[in-house]
Amino acid sequence: MITPSAGASASAWRLDSDRLVTFALAAAVAVPLFLFVLVPLADILMLSFATPDGFGLGNYVRYFQTPKFSRVIANSLVVSACATVITVVLAYGFAYAMHRTAMRWKTVFGLIALLPLFAPSLVQALGILFLLGRNGLINRAFDLGIDVYGFWGIVIADVLYSFPHAYLILSAALAVADARIYESAQMLGAGPLRVFRTVTLPATKYGLMSACFVVFTIVITDFGNPMVIGADYNVLATEIYNQVSGQANFEMGAVIGVVLLIPAALAVVVEKLVSRRSFAVIGDRSQPLTVRPHRVADRVAFAYSLVVCGAILSIIGIVFLASFVTLWPYNLHLSLRHYRFEVQNGIEPLWTSIHVSLMAAGIGMAVTVAAACVLRRLGPWAAQALYFLSILPAAVPGMVLGLGYILAFNDPAHPLHFLYGTLLILAICNVYHYHAQGFLVATTSVNQISRVFDEASAVLGGGLLRTLARVTLPIIWPTVASVVVFFFVRSMVTLSAVIFLITPETQLAAVSVLLLDDSGNQNQAAAFSVCIMAVVGAALLAFHFALRWLVGRDVALVR
Amino acid sequence: MTGRHPPASPEPGRGDPHVFLSLRQITKRFGHVTALDHISLDIAEGEFLCFLGPSGCGKTTLLRVIAGLETPDEGEIRLQEGRLDAVPARQRNFGVVFQSYSLFPNMTVARNVAYGLECRGWRGTRKDERVRAMLELVHLADQSDKLPHQLSGGQQQRVALARALAPEPKVLLLDEPLSALDAKVREELRGEIRDLQRALRITTVMVTHDQDEAMELADRIVLMNQGVIEQIGRAEELYEQPANRFVAEFIGRMNVLSGFGSAGEAGLIGVRPEHLELIDGAAAGADAIVGRIEKSVFLGSVTRLTLRAGDQRLVVELRGKPANAVPGATLAVRIPPQSVHRIRGAPP
Repeated sequence: MITPSAGASASAWRLDSDRLVTFALAAAVAVPLFLFVLVPLADILMLSFATPDGFGLGNYVRYFQTPKFSRVIANSLVVSACATVITVVLAYGFAYAMHRTAMRWKTVFGLIALLPLFAPSLVQALGILFLLGRNGLINRAFDLGIDVYGFWGIVIADVLYSFPHAYLILSAALAVADARIYESAQMLGAGPLRVFRTVTLPATKYGLMSACFVVFTIVITDFGNPMVIGADYNVLATEIYNQVSGQANFEMGAVIGVVLLIPAALAVVVEKLVSRRSFAVIGDRSQPLTVRPHRVADRVAFAYSLVVCGAILSIIGIVFLASFVTLWPYNLHLSLRHYRFEVQNGIEPLWTSIHVSLMAAGIGMAVTVAAACVLRRLGPWAAQALYFLSILPAAVPGMVLGLGYILAFNDPAHPLHFLYGTLLILAICNVYHYHAQGFLVATTSVNQISRVFDEASAVLGGGLLRTLARVTLPIIWPTVASVVVFFFVRSMVTLSAVIFLITPETQLAAVSVLLLDDSGNQNQAAAFSVCIMAVVGAALLAFHFALRWLVGRDVALVR
Repeated sequence: MTGRHPPASPEPGRGDPHVFLSLRQITKRFGHVTALDHISLDIAEGEFLCFLGPSGCGKTTLLRVIAGLETPDEGEIRLQEGRLDAVPARQRNFGVVFQSYSLFPNMTVARNVAYGLECRGWRGTRKDERVRAMLELVHLADQSDKLPHQLSGGQQQRVALARALAPEPKVLLLDEPLSALDAKVREELRGEIRDLQRALRITTVMVTHDQDEAMELADRIVLMNQGVIEQIGRAEELYEQPANRFVAEFIGRMNVLSGFGSAGEAGLIGVRPEHLELIDGAAAGADAIVGRIEKSVFLGSVTRLTLRAGDQRLVVELRGKPANAVPGATLAVRIPPQSVHRIRGAPP
């Protein structure tokens, strides 16, 4: 017999603990976003309009009148669009081969595709120079007179640099599929091409758009590769550095920063419009798709993947090689002389980077997963606002964010001024620099969980925290782990935001690479890059095997 | 909105000891669509109620309002003496079985069933015994360590039922729990739900669009259409005394005719196909309807004929297989006066 208890029959509106938890979580996510994204941005906007005669467009007028400026903008747009198209097409094909064919060597290919993540952005440019540069291997061996500096150098370097980001996003989109839809299409007589066009492509549309958006933003805000290989092909990211670091021209830096916000912001808006039309691909009744071997398709996929991975490996490999020889490419005797780092602080910045990256990984995981989870619980307006704040950093290039942090936290009147010059602010800067990407990964994963699980938990008496701990997180934990890895890796290799924030005491590894390259020590720069790649590689491998070991024991719905 | 319910009592839910759950003037809008339009309803303790209606009639929304998964824009809900409106879903202690499989995919069958118990602080052997008992109740004790995806659809829904019942809910809410299952399993599980409900005497509300399901299971059926209740009553009541044309045509078949009523009376009358009587065409009186057979379907125990008489069509069900019931033949039937239903409500 079921006996009703008086407990649940409340007679008046009561302060529900779930509301409190939702509010607290939302605040814990939104307040730092406000402090560490909105305020620095506002400071940049203010500064860009500040002229000796008060607020006005003076700075803009002055700068727009120079022909050099419009050329820099055009350069940035063309190089970014070009690199984005190439990257996304290549990465889609690769992700498709990985998830929808039964080709061999998938594990190896998957690891190689991620290799560029192990390295600071300028490593691709460094590798290309070792291979194709004036004194590169090819020109030395064949005397072809290839000139890779400038546009094509940046495009190739940034394609390699952004490839794994696109691959990861498209991989997530292609990894999940409802077998029933594919079977329906086949039963209705659709050939492979039609199935691809009418089922696969629409189902991965969201991932595709998301990849375009992320890659475009990465390329246009990339600073390391254009610094190394751009020569006189100036882009916005290098220009802002020259203005601020070279000439201490903060007003001009702010103006370029605001201009640099526009293309990245447009990309975010487009992505937002696209995602509004997306829907949950995996329902609670989906059947996972199993791939069947196919002789021709598997071989084509294998050959394609071999070419893509070969390109990635050769660039990374040549940097390894160059770091271990006496003088590339003239004296190829093995030597460890480049590992005696003749740079400020020697190897110390590597340990600083690890410290900062661990902090960023912890904080980044907590805030993005919390944001993704709390988003579903908020009313439409609050959710919109939080979503906007969460993806806003995607529209804020690293150089701009870094500049904003100087303006905000270097001001002794700012209540958080004590953070300036600490490792913590470097970690926070990295978290909010990459907040949007981490958040989108977490949100995509959370949204793949049917809402019926939330409702089932609620009617069984589960509060918000219990639902998160017992249902949501156990289902999405592989994603949570990947968000941790994401923040750690990005923090290890990022250059653009933190380059404005480092002090001699808090110098980071990636900055050392840039300084070494800048001073003509390409081989030492390669050696320092190898150290960073080794740390990141070790961390990634540890995560990879931990994940595999755990996933084997824990069967999740979302694979 | 029509029907005998609700009784217009000034203090709804009070005074009448049989009223367990009471809804008053529940209204829910989604944008410009009114999903529920001032719904009032009383449910007695231990009663099995079915919300029946075509898709989009608001039946699932009403169930979700009761569960606390939707907040109504207007109206109030009472459970015995207490107002439920401000009580969040997780504090209502209502068991819910969803249409689609809602088992947590990361938990075993046993952990799924234990979930609601753990939320209420059940621990140790008390919890384990309850889980065991619930799984035995649905004949799945041997599957307790399996993960949901290793079970069939019917098994999953039985686990969902066990999970919903485990924390001793005050009300059991079933949202089309059988519609995703194949026919044989559906029939089997239908019987199980009925037996469980009778054994536990738990107040139960089930949403269904399946008339047979509602008629077999429900003590009373709440027939809904476009956000309002068309009629509430036992299956026989809905069948024998349909309140309006919608009810008449939704529950069973009904010939709705004009111009056959007694002289001078406007409006429509209805007659069930099986109530029409075959008469000898030659001896036909004034009340005879003579028509031509358009279609004849033999269904085993009955033969269903479509008869065209003037500009109206009649469906006639005759026992067995009458000799001359072939398309093209002429047939005369009469409407027994006691079988005439007066039909209210505008034509659809």
